[in-house]
Amino acid sequence: MSAQLLTSGVIFGLSIGSIFFLMAIGLSLCFGLMRIISLDQLLYYSVGAYLTYSLTLVTGNVWLGVLGGVVVAGIVSFAVERLIFRRIYERELTFSMITSFGVLIGGIGVIKFFWGVVPRPVPVPLMAQIDIIGTEVPVYRLIVVAIAFLVYAGIWLFLNRTITGKAIRAGIENVEHVEGLGINVSRLFTITFIIAGALSGLAGGLHAPLIMVDPSMGLEVLAFVFMVVIIGGLGSIKGTLISAFIVGQVVSLGSLIYAPLAQMAPFAIMLLILLVKPTGLYGSPLLKR
Amino acid sequence: MAAMVNAWRWWWGILLAFFLVGLSRLFLPLPFIIEVLIFSIYTMGCSFLLGRVGFISFGQPAYLAAGAYGTAFYLFYFGSNPYVGILIGILSGLAVSGIVGPLFVRLRSDYFALVNLALAVIIYYLMQKVLAGITKGDNGLWFLTNIASTPVLDLGKPDHFFIFSILVALAIWAFYKYLDDSVFGACCLATKINEDKLKFLGYSNYGVRLLAFVIANTTTALAGAMYAVYLGFVSPEITSPARAADPVVVTILGGTGTLFGPLVGAIAYTGMKDVISKLIGNWELFIGFLLVFIMLAGEKGIWGTLQPWLERLFSRKKASPAAGEGAGARQ
Repeated sequence: MSAQLLTSGVIFGLSIGSIFFLMAIGLSLCFGLMRIISLDQLLYYSVGAYLTYSLTLVTGNVWLGVLGGVVVAGIVSFAVERLIFRRIYERELTFSMITSFGVLIGGIGVIKFFWGVVPRPVPVPLMAQIDIIGTEVPVYRLIVVAIAFLVYAGIWLFLNRTITGKAIRAGIENVEHVEGLGINVSRLFTITFIIAGALSGLAGGLHAPLIMVDPSMGLEVLAFVFMVVIIGGLGSIKGTLISAFIVGQVVSLGSLIYAPLAQMAPFAIMLLILLVKPTGLYGSPLLKR
Repeated sequence: MAAMVNAWRWWWGILLAFFLVGLSRLFLPLPFIIEVLIFSIYTMGCSFLLGRVGFISFGQPAYLAAGAYGTAFYLFYFGSNPYVGILIGILSGLAVSGIVGPLFVRLRSDYFALVNLALAVIIYYLMQKVLAGITKGDNGLWFLTNIASTPVLDLGKPDHFFIFSILVALAIWAFYKYLDDSVFGACCLATKINEDKLKFLGYSNYGVRLLAFVIANTTTALAGAMYAVYLGFVSPEITSPARAADPVVVTILGGTGTLFGPLVGAIAYTGMKDVISKLIGNWELFIGFLLVFIMLAGEKGIWGTLQPWLERLFSRKKASPAAGEGAGARQ
């Protein structure tokens, strides 16, 4: 394998890993704080991508489209949280999984209603290439990676430096105690859910120029996002970041060696890690509430 | 004599249910009833896992595909006897669940759900792309003409296939009712409700779960094998992630963990699908919101709501509490 191919493979892996990270962080945060498995994050991903497509068509600026995607994904997740999840926080974990799968499938139906089933292309905002160790690398992919790291830093600062963030971290440990301190837990849940939804929307918007936007795009990345969350451990942000980049590299480098490996190898790795540590790399042994 | 009365009491709910299904042949189209029967067998495994063992499985299509492709490979490449094909489908389902089972049942229920769905997606890719040379990719394997006619029940004929599927469903239902009554069934419930106490009693949670997992998923593989023989073709669409929720929806629609829930759910679901896909083309929209609605409305399902009502009706009529108990599902 030539060095050029390897470099571009690594960059590709980093960018795809960044997308996985942005999506998985929503699932992970929701599980950590609310003890729900929110499959509808994949819907906000599609919403972000479609909004990016439509706004790009109207305004001609992809970044504006991504921004719109993030905002609308946040609004949709707010509505879903208020209408549906509000009623099911108290129930079992499986309950939230079934309900959110319903939201996901129903949402895909809504998307088909508005945008049809034909895959849509979104232009890449930056066509420039940059030279890294003798390899031409698209700048856009590097920007995606940079945004993922910015989001990680932002989330870290938010969780460690603000009162709300600290309350969320405390809530992940023990929600009753946080409530006992007089903090409005239900508002905390809403904020976390909107953050998760908006980040998924961001992932969709950033991913849109790299792939075709189609109604079932959420289902296509579903397996990978799951693997990221499982390998990293539910509820751990650091674990999610690390496993997202592992899975990204495996997908990218695996497909260079033998194309079908891209889909199979992450799964094999996930099984191996689960064999050694059933809660994932950084998963907490926390039980259900 | 007493033994016979007991046996009758044990059997009559199941026999009545399938007698009614058989009777519906008179006024319902044949493909619809066969679809309902296979679908209810498909759902049975999921219902058992969810209601009895407490495992939510979005990965059922994976095992359905294992059964369907096992049958399809045999009928396409090797033989022509549909019974042998179905047997091979069941065995391949057994093999797949036997391989992944020991890994999966160790997991916490949340991880189990995620890993299982990931397995379904992986099998989808496997069948669609990786093994495209053998599975013919999205075109699927067509082997309807390969199926040889067999004596007694000729599975190539829809009428005979209908009788065959009723008999299979009857056997499956009797088997699961037997499981519910047995010590093993009680262990399954115990591992769902309180695994520590089951451990105190000297049972292995792992063993109980593994056995339940293998039984349920082999049932699902049987449904896959029956689909393969009935339709005469198999494509990766059978394990498409978009359909992963179907068995879970039907389970909850019918009533989770009840004996007749899967059957009632399958009738309601297939019926609605037929009616609604004629009215609106957007099937996902409907199924998604139906799922959310059932979950918010109280998750008891159709049979779960009907059953107490039926029991009251029966016990009043016959004035004997024993008859009411026999009226169908336990729990």
